[in-house]
Amino acid sequence: MTDILTLTIAGLSLGAMYALVALGFSVIYRASQVFNFAHGELLGIGGFSMTSLVEAGLPWPAALAVVMAITGAIAAVIERAVVRPMIARPVFVTIILTLFVALLLRAIALIIWGVQPRALADPFDEAALSLAGAEVPYKTLAQIAIAVLAVGGFFTLLRRTRLGIGMRATSTDQEVALALGIPVGRILGATWFLSGMLAGLAGVFAAMKNPLFDQQSTLIIAFRAFPAVIVGGLTSPSGTVIAGFLLGLTEIFAPVYLSPHLGSFGRNLQDIFPYVVMILFLVVRPYGLLGQRDVERL
Amino acid sequence: MPTRPLVTRYEDDLRLFPDRWHKVGLALGAALLLGFPFAAGASWLTAGNHALIAIVGAVGLMILTGFAGQISLGHAAFLAIGGFTTAVLGERWQLPFWLCLPAAGAVATAIGLATGLFALRLRGLYLAIVTLGLLYLVQHTLDAYPALSGTAGEKQTPMYVSFGDTPEGMRDIYEKMAYGPLILDWDQKLYGIFVAIALAAAWTARNLTRSNAGRAMMAVRDHDLAAATLGVSPVRAKLIAFGVSSFYAGVAGGMFALEQRTITVEYFQLPVSVEYIAMIVLGGIGSVWGAVAGAIAFVFLAKLMQTLGPSLPYLRSLPTGLQTAVLFSVLVIAVLVIEPLGLYGIWLRIKRYFVAWPFRY
Repeated sequence: MTDILTLTIAGLSLGAMYALVALGFSVIYRASQVFNFAHGELLGIGGFSMTSLVEAGLPWPAALAVVMAITGAIAAVIERAVVRPMIARPVFVTIILTLFVALLLRAIALIIWGVQPRALADPFDEAALSLAGAEVPYKTLAQIAIAVLAVGGFFTLLRRTRLGIGMRATSTDQEVALALGIPVGRILGATWFLSGMLAGLAGVFAAMKNPLFDQQSTLIIAFRAFPAVIVGGLTSPSGTVIAGFLLGLTEIFAPVYLSPHLGSFGRNLQDIFPYVVMILFLVVRPYGLLGQRDVERL
Repeated sequence: MPTRPLVTRYEDDLRLFPDRWHKVGLALGAALLLGFPFAAGASWLTAGNHALIAIVGAVGLMILTGFAGQISLGHAAFLAIGGFTTAVLGERWQLPFWLCLPAAGAVATAIGLATGLFALRLRGLYLAIVTLGLLYLVQHTLDAYPALSGTAGEKQTPMYVSFGDTPEGMRDIYEKMAYGPLILDWDQKLYGIFVAIALAAAWTARNLTRSNAGRAMMAVRDHDLAAATLGVSPVRAKLIAFGVSSFYAGVAGGMFALEQRTITVEYFQLPVSVEYIAMIVLGGIGSVWGAVAGAIAFVFLAKLMQTLGPSLPYLRSLPTGLQTAVLFSVLVIAVLVIEPLGLYGIWLRIKRYFVAWPFRY
């Protein structure tokens, strides 16, 4: 029982990260029809700039806000400088561009912060809460809480504010939105900014996960979050969030309950488990958990 | 002036080498290909062999991305499948290499079709993410079964010429040998074989563009709904493209294994897929010529950049692999923004200048 509780909470905190990354990825896809493969690099940049800011003596919450502003700004710059000039060009060209922007971002991060793994000090230390016999670190609980707050805030913004309505209109039909006087360009910029903020937050979580982290470890988390987008349904942000949490949970439970039955294939199963789930989903339910079935309109 | 001959029949339009200048170019190219292994030094010859491998792989990716408009991040996975198939067939059953390479392609095709069957069912570029998953899956499987990937992650790839060759008997294939009046060393022999494969790859791909299946791919790339309305099945066209592309990648992986003689699972990762994408973008998306030019340019530029990288500010602090990656990223982004058709586009402009001379256009 305590095992299951510990695993569930670990899975939820992992899922929180996946949900944040996948939500940002999916929001950009909805707005610009682009798979933004540079999204994963923002995690590393978020984690690294957080260490620098904390070392510089900024209080933790302020540093977190600055980090999210930085990654958001980077995402907005990518949109303005790379994605927007590619309008009216085939979509795959833009996707290829984001792949190479990702390489550039990685190089820039390596030039600024070097290749050495770094440690992120956080205010939660090693303290843990005893819950029904299980030791639950406060750090993990805080991650889940902050992620839920961020996702909730994002959806409130999407549903209730002027900006959110503009975002939804833009993602439904850019030309009609433009004709109705919605500043599509600015809305797209804001969408990418918000998505970058979510990635930065996820990056800080990824940095907190291990005592030492480097760019590779944060990037791996981002790559494992991508399947959540398809499992949740490419066009459904809420489905993506649910899928993110589910993938986190299954990824934690799979090595414990599934791997022993799979022989040598089960070793390090968690590395690929999200992708296995994604492939199963594509076979059984290709439009995802909450995605819409494709309806052709001419 | 070399103007284009008047086209009066469909046969004229379909000819591979429509005029004198194509034939002159062909002759020059053949002379260059034949002369290269004897003129080039050892390190350039190795680069030449790598370029030939890259041509086969890039032509494969071009069929998928350039013709059918799908993105694959899993090209490295198919290279790995091809490479390890060749290695296992050679080591286990002593099969000759000319049987291993098509087998490598066939295994890659089978896996590609199985993946593509559900990844390509939907509209949109799902393939990009699914092939990323395939890449991790293939790596995981290879790592999990040492029978496939060799002990300590390394796999020897022997090269046999005919059935019944033994490892002892084939040892001298890697040495200098006399074939009649020609004395060839290992790299030169390999070069000859690879040139034949690369030419076959480019030629078949060129012919594919002139076939029904090829035109269907391009119709789907340009507008899948319109294509479907005209009776082209988008799923079928994309699936054929993915299958053919996987075959080429499998063969290229097999060639790579033969050339390297020892392959590791670690090599076949995402950066390799991205390199192949860089090649086709550099050459010009949408033409076989572009894939060939891009592959050659990539391999030789990479060789130059390895010497250039350490002397640039900031870049110096990066690992060598990333230095070249950064330089290529800048190049690819510049190409996509400034000259979307890459080397092929530049070539078209030069050609147009001379064709229209003395007028501007």
